[in-house]
Amino acid sequence: MFADTLALTARSLKKWIRNPAAIMPGVFMAVFWLALFGSSFNPVNLVPSKVGGTSLSPTTVLQIKSAISSVFGGAANYITFLTAGIITLIVIINMAYGGIDIVLDRQLGYLNSLLTSPISRASIFFSGALQNFVKAMFIAVITFIVAVLLPNGLQVGAGFGALNLLGIFAAIALVTFGFGCLFTSVAFSVKVVDSLIAIINFLAFPLVFMSSAMFPLGTFPSWLKGIAQVNPVTKAVETSRLLIVNGNLTASQLSTVGWNMLYLVVFASVLAVAGYLIARRALKAE
Amino acid sequence: MKNKIIEAEGLTKIYKKSVKAVDDISFSVEEGELFGFLGPNGAGKTTTIKMLTTLAALTSGKATVAGYDVSSKPAEVRKIIGVVPQELTAEDELKGVENLMLSAKLHHVPNDKARNKAQDLLKLLELESAAQRQVKTYSGGMRRRLQLAMGLIHEPKILFLDEPTLGLDIQTRQNMWAYIKGLNHDDGITVFMTTHYLEEADSLCDRIAIIDTGIIKVSGNPTELKKKLGGTILTLKLTDGADISASLRRIQFVTEVEKEGGIYKIKLVRTDALPAIVEAVTKSGLSISDINLIKPTLDQVFLQITGNTMRDKATNGDSYAQRVLIERMK
Repeated sequence: MFADTLALTARSLKKWIRNPAAIMPGVFMAVFWLALFGSSFNPVNLVPSKVGGTSLSPTTVLQIKSAISSVFGGAANYITFLTAGIITLIVIINMAYGGIDIVLDRQLGYLNSLLTSPISRASIFFSGALQNFVKAMFIAVITFIVAVLLPNGLQVGAGFGALNLLGIFAAIALVTFGFGCLFTSVAFSVKVVDSLIAIINFLAFPLVFMSSAMFPLGTFPSWLKGIAQVNPVTKAVETSRLLIVNGNLTASQLSTVGWNMLYLVVFASVLAVAGYLIARRALKAE
Repeated sequence: MKNKIIEAEGLTKIYKKSVKAVDDISFSVEEGELFGFLGPNGAGKTTTIKMLTTLAALTSGKATVAGYDVSSKPAEVRKIIGVVPQELTAEDELKGVENLMLSAKLHHVPNDKARNKAQDLLKLLELESAAQRQVKTYSGGMRRRLQLAMGLIHEPKILFLDEPTLGLDIQTRQNMWAYIKGLNHDDGITVFMTTHYLEEADSLCDRIAIIDTGIIKVSGNPTELKKKLGGTILTLKLTDGADISASLRRIQFVTEVEKEGGIYKIKLVRTDALPAIVEAVTKSGLSISDINLIKPTLDQVFLQITGNTMRDKATNGDSYAQRVLIERMK
């Protein structure tokens, strides 16, 4: 089964590599979200120097700024806060839209060729998920690099190292793989691209907006906060953000990272199995 | 009696409880046979192939391929069949040989063996020089040939071909027939093919079944089917002179002679009668000014059986709508 999965994944990635333009939408998305959306807002700039005609003392201004900054997880600027969220948003959207290739494979008869061959149905499903996962993670790395390169862009905390980097991408990978399996199973279940896009728009955007990807949970109304807190997107984003803003983690931060990772591992495993079961139903002889 | 390698009993496929794509058909294919499934668009050919290749579930009936039930042992069936679908599924961005190797992987052919087989097939199908080119540079005929190679890379016992020459020009089509015939004769592969080209079924198949509106109307050897129509018709235009109908009728293998003006319409069961006819004409001092021999075609068989020519059927609004409906319901 693993050999089949790898052979099928390699087939898609070969196609992808030979068509370099295919990654451009992902790169554009990264640049636009970070350079335009991210640069347009900096929460500490909200702090006024005067209130009701009375000048605030520089100390007060600093105190307010620091309070706001701590709401934003201690990030040096909004892009630093935003990067983890934007990476997650972009990879989830990319994973979801990657399903279009799967729908086209069905329409063009390629899927039937797979179904009449002796490979396992599981490898058809997991190669579908894996190919899009690899592409999405590639875009995740590019997005991170864009964030670092932007003027006044991503600023990592003191002591930031390889382990932080590994943790950031592990958290993002887990949430991406989990949702990726779900979207892949949807792609195997629909017959036309239009239905897939409708379902993606219905699921992907609320998923990201009901998380702390864009804004801190502290600013959420309580009903939304409740949902956002259990959203795996929030877990992944908070974990990555913690690892970006703080180079060396305190013991309590480390334990937060640990629990979140465990949450994400369970989440990804459950969705991988659920996705496979949904896809297996869709791949049965009609 | 040869081994029956495909057996279908009461095969039925109903889509969404209302559209009968295949209606209670039974047939069998012998090992080593080149069997043609002939019918107009929307007749149920592709649906039948889909059921036999484990893609579509049977609504009712039973089918076995090499002794394995397609419903209960699909995995076994998939190991021994090769399928060349109507669609062109080779990857544009991959090279010809890469597509073949991918097919080999999906059929668990060891790498060394696959490489050799790929070379053999590329040579056989005259794709050697294009093997290292991306498929997007291929012509339609080359794509069809590559598709055929992809279905053969794992040396299947039975090859299913769904409209293997669809959209090809006549010369490329004839080349394709030669390849298919070769695979069947030289390598002993049983071939089950669908086509809506009558001449294709006629020149290729050992046995055919004509299917229309989901029902098998007739099956048998193409030559026998044509014979049932009553043989060849010879039209002779002779220079003016005596009526020689009576002497023509006496010739062996001539069954019927009609005369209209100077034109004789002669029905023959065998063309062996031709020399005797020419002799009779010469003896009576007449000479032939025009001659025309019409051999019965499968088209006529089809016309007689269904009351429609294939062309009529292919553009028939109802069957087209039926096909679209079936496509959408899938």
